[in-house]
Amino acid sequence: MHRFTGALAGLLERSAGLLPAARREWAEAVLAEAGEVPAGAGRVAWLCGGLWLVAREAVMGRAMRVLAFAAGAAGLAWIGWPGVSSNSATPLNRVYVTGTVVLLAVLPWVVRRYFGPVRRGWAPRAARVGGYVMVLALIAAKAVKDRDGSKLGAYFVIVPGEWVLEIVLLLVIAGCLAGLLILTSQRIRLTRPGLPVGIGAGAVTAGALYALAPLGIGFILFFPLDPESSLGSLWGLVSLALPLATGFLVARLAARDTRPGVLAPARKGCLAASCATATAALLLAVLTSVTIALFPHHVPLQNPPPPSGGGCETCDPNNTVIPPGLRHEYWAELSVGQAGSTAYAALLIAPFLGAGLGALGARLASKSPGTRGRGGGGPHAASPPALSQPLAGWASDTDREQVIGVLKAAFVLGGLTKDELDARAGLALTAPTRADLAALTTDLHHHPRPG
Amino acid sequence: MQTLSVLAALCSEPAAWRHGYGIANDTGLKSGSLYPILIRLADRGLVEARWEEEQPAGRPRRHLYRLTPDGLARAKAALAEQALLPHRRPTVAGRRGAAPEGA
Repeated sequence: MHRFTGALAGLLERSAGLLPAARREWAEAVLAEAGEVPAGAGRVAWLCGGLWLVAREAVMGRAMRVLAFAAGAAGLAWIGWPGVSSNSATPLNRVYVTGTVVLLAVLPWVVRRYFGPVRRGWAPRAARVGGYVMVLALIAAKAVKDRDGSKLGAYFVIVPGEWVLEIVLLLVIAGCLAGLLILTSQRIRLTRPGLPVGIGAGAVTAGALYALAPLGIGFILFFPLDPESSLGSLWGLVSLALPLATGFLVARLAARDTRPGVLAPARKGCLAASCATATAALLLAVLTSVTIALFPHHVPLQNPPPPSGGGCETCDPNNTVIPPGLRHEYWAELSVGQAGSTAYAALLIAPFLGAGLGALGARLASKSPGTRGRGGGGPHAASPPALSQPLAGWASDTDREQVIGVLKAAFVLGGLTKDELDARAGLALTAPTRADLAALTTDLHHHPRPG
Repeated sequence: MQTLSVLAALCSEPAAWRHGYGIANDTGLKSGSLYPILIRLADRGLVEARWEEEQPAGRPRRHLYRLTPDGLARAKAALAEQALLPHRRPTVAGRRGAAPEGA
């Protein structure tokens, strides 16, 4: 035990060096006090607390985040950048690697400028780190998959139309990331269960869809109720039912959250479901791409198109004759290159699908027995939120900033016009008491949804 | 509400310099919870910290803490407000007024 305590103390002393100078003395303070704590379990716990402190301060420090990001970017470049010039995917992969690194680095700055820094607590931070890891993994796996699928580069010429599609996909990923960063920033007050429920439902959806078809599914997605394919129907059902349920559930949970300034339940249901589908699509794209990249030989071979319409059996879809020795390789590569594209297409439509289904679910929730009132803002209309808050006391600057944040969020989401925002923000800056501040946000729930 | 208990411990003898283990004993907090709170309070200028000046025999020098005048005023206001509130789950406003936590 004595030796163990000594080892812990040594570890704490060394790890304190990881902290910036201004923080190091706090770790040293824990170490200095350790002698006071009764030897044994108490002292071990004290030293473990010190190590936790170092870990916490190191991770929260900017240096650690920058280092982690640089490592991730380097890993992506290491996997995605190499490629021979005869491989038609090489330039595409390089554009992806560069574009992704730039997006990942720039987006947080932009979002911080308009929506404030990351929200407090471990969940928003974990969601951001998870989102970044997913995007890095997706781009890396996609690069490997595309490289495997384009070795016969001369037969897989990338036409301008494909470039456009690929750039659109990159923009969609940027959009998902921006959504994640905005939803986890300080100025958006999603109710507490909203984000975890949305992300959790997304993960469950992705897991279910992945289990149904680990190597991706053909373009059945767009005909989800194709009677000939039970797999396709199941796939379609799962991907529609879960966001609907998320919207319903979050709207029900949100109806109980009566803090002022929180978004109306219907909007929260809509946002959470959108978040769920985006998470599901992103996670599914990651899982599918990684599986294809790791096991390209398991991808089922696409059938050559029937020799109709002037085509020939030995030709690719562009009527280029494939030499006999290359035919199997050609179809294998074509299959790998095209596998997983449904997951990317799903990424494009998922957030919108989720928003629509979530709104539908939230509407169902507000009509079901158990919640009072009608429409999105019903429960709020029934019980004025201001009464549940302690309104006594003078307002602090923190209170004022928070209310201004809520007002800005309402403006962004269409609950306030620009003029109203300016007027109320002015009032918030001069409001003497908490009650005055609360009055500025109480009516935000009653605003009709736009459209 | 952990921050409040730290403030209460520091408030009990505002002029005295306290050390971490003493505060941990008063509040029942573990080192991993107590020190982050002290760091936040010090960052906001509510708590001042210094090392013991002379080297005591038989143990390392201690890191000492006490409330700044501003910190004392804020702590008293926060504790008074907390006492006024009905006893139910901690409220957002109460926590915000009392606990300058997070960066």
